[in-house]
Amino acid sequence: MSAEEPSVADEVRTTVTVDTDRPWALVGLAAFWGWLLVRWTNDFLLPDGMAFPSEQSFFPAAPFSAAAESLGATAASLGLVGAPLDVLAGLLGFVAGAIPSLPALARGAWLTILLTVAGIAFGFVLAVPLSVARVYGGRGLRWLSLSYTELIRGTPLLAQLFVLYFGLPLTQIIREVPGVGVGFVPATAVWVAIIGFTLNSAAYQAEYIRSALESVDVGQLTAARSIGLSKVDGIRYVVLPQGLRYAIPGWSNELVYLIKYSSLAAFITVRELFFQAESIANDTFRYTELFVLAALFYLALVVSASLLMNLVEERTSVPGIGGKRQA
Amino acid sequence: MTLLRVEDVHKSYGDEEVLKGVSFEMDRGDVDVLMGPSGSGKSTMLRCINRLTEIDSGDVWLDGTPVYGPDTDVNELRQDVGMVFQDFNLFAHLTALENVTLGLKRVLGVPEAEATDRAADHLAQVGLAAQTDSYPAELSGGQQQRVGIARALAMEPKLMLFDEPTSALDPELVGEVVEVMRDLAERGMTMLVVSHEMGFARSAADDIHFLDSGRIVESGPPEQLFQRPEHDRTNEFLTGLQSNGH
Ligand SMILES: Nc1ncnc2c1ncn2[C@@H]1O[C@H](COP(=O)(O)OP(=O)(O)OP(=O)(O)O)[C@@H](O)[C@H]1O
Ligand SMILES: [Mg+2]
Repeated sequence: MSAEEPSVADEVRTTVTVDTDRPWALVGLAAFWGWLLVRWTNDFLLPDGMAFPSEQSFFPAAPFSAAAESLGATAASLGLVGAPLDVLAGLLGFVAGAIPSLPALARGAWLTILLTVAGIAFGFVLAVPLSVARVYGGRGLRWLSLSYTELIRGTPLLAQLFVLYFGLPLTQIIREVPGVGVGFVPATAVWVAIIGFTLNSAAYQAEYIRSALESVDVGQLTAARSIGLSKVDGIRYVVLPQGLRYAIPGWSNELVYLIKYSSLAAFITVRELFFQAESIANDTFRYTELFVLAALFYLALVVSASLLMNLVEERTSVPGIGGKRQA
Repeated sequence: MTLLRVEDVHKSYGDEEVLKGVSFEMDRGDVDVLMGPSGSGKSTMLRCINRLTEIDSGDVWLDGTPVYGPDTDVNELRQDVGMVFQDFNLFAHLTALENVTLGLKRVLGVPEAEATDRAADHLAQVGLAAQTDSYPAELSGGQQQRVGIARALAMEPKLMLFDEPTSALDPELVGEVVEVMRDLAERGMTMLVVSHEMGFARSAADDIHFLDSGRIVESGPPEQLFQRPEHDRTNEFLTGLQSNGH
């Protein structure tokens, strides 16, 4: 693991849309999640005696490699005509190579999801007051909120993680907390990463929510105040419920980004998806295969997240606000 | 008995003095109409009464309470002053019923079930018993404005302020809103209405105040103001209104 690889953390985050209108994608996702859940239950929940060995894949690799070999031989004997068969053989070979790494990647995916969900959720809790302060606060609060978001958005996420992990005595403090790293409770580095993603995502989410709040008509708060609601209650009961609905598309983007950016946690020793893929690749020298495999995992997570957010958007929409762009 | 007293109210935005010493009084049950050209300060005057805008000098009393008194809680004051807006400003994410219950529940602390009953009654009063579950985007302008009136009425205010309640409506929808306002006037509600609806002014107003460049130029009952205005400026304005088909 080296920190020299180009940092992608300060890239501009732009819109990603995933077309979800494809049934085969749903079938694939269902299989993926079914397998993940069974794998996690087996590895994390079942007692050792009852469980399938946690390092061993559910699927045998041998039939795939055998098939790949025989197909490859057939293809070679056919010459040029055998090219399609050769591709198929390559694919089967890829599957055979991938199967032994699946258990480790499933464990990595667990941490990737944990980091992302925790970062989004805790970040959201911070982002709401940050954005409200930015739009409705006095001069001091506005300045504080702006400074925070500028600082976070203006520096690379990787640098932020390094400061938290190496630069601050955070790790010593967390290590002292009883229970950390025992059983289900994630290890110190994971906590540092969660703190890092929370602080980072809060700034980005605050920007999305701020612009959503600003798009709520000022007359809404005026009307709220005219019936005697305090400013805080007016924001809480009238402006935020609308603003947060407007923020959902931006929020979906943030979720997708966080899934991918969570790979940076590997640089502070968190054994998430990217870390697992890279360490297996380092041991086996099968770099291409493992990174392609990791990419497929990320893709499955990203598409799932988009589907989920579409559902959230649909469920929370009311006539006139959110959901499908309507008249 | 005086319900509202506005005394020598001044208000400036930057260098522009929008209200230049406005004074008038309303008794309980009065319906007064505020007329005047665009930019003359009508909306500003209304907003100064419930302190959506703060005055620079002068005084306002509501039912004996100094609106700008040091001990006056604006949120309590506003429960006594209902306001209806030109562009309705219904809470866009709430149904008609929820628009009315929000204040009952969050301001007055009325329990859910009672709030629902009371809101349903208010909606029925404005003729929207069948629309309780509709969202603002699903209602016509006239229906939205009637929800806006019900929302304000639910707080059981002492005074209702209307800021051009029909001017954003298609002509064929004006009638249903005016009807509700007239009904309200007959039930004895004290109403201060900014409107150029001559029909409403003529039939429902006790007094009409003509505001021009931040001053009340002339006040009086409709027949006096419409038939024999004392000031050229009033005459000019009213003639203009009539020829515009109002
Ligand atoms: N918040 C504000 N900031 C600065 N100037 C304002 C503000 N509100 C109103 N004004 C100015 O004050 C003057 C009076 O405005 P006001 O809205 O009270 O007029 P009005 O009589 O209601 O006009 P209209 O018939 O167009 O609604 C206008 O010149 C307007 O530009
Ligand atoms: Mg106005």
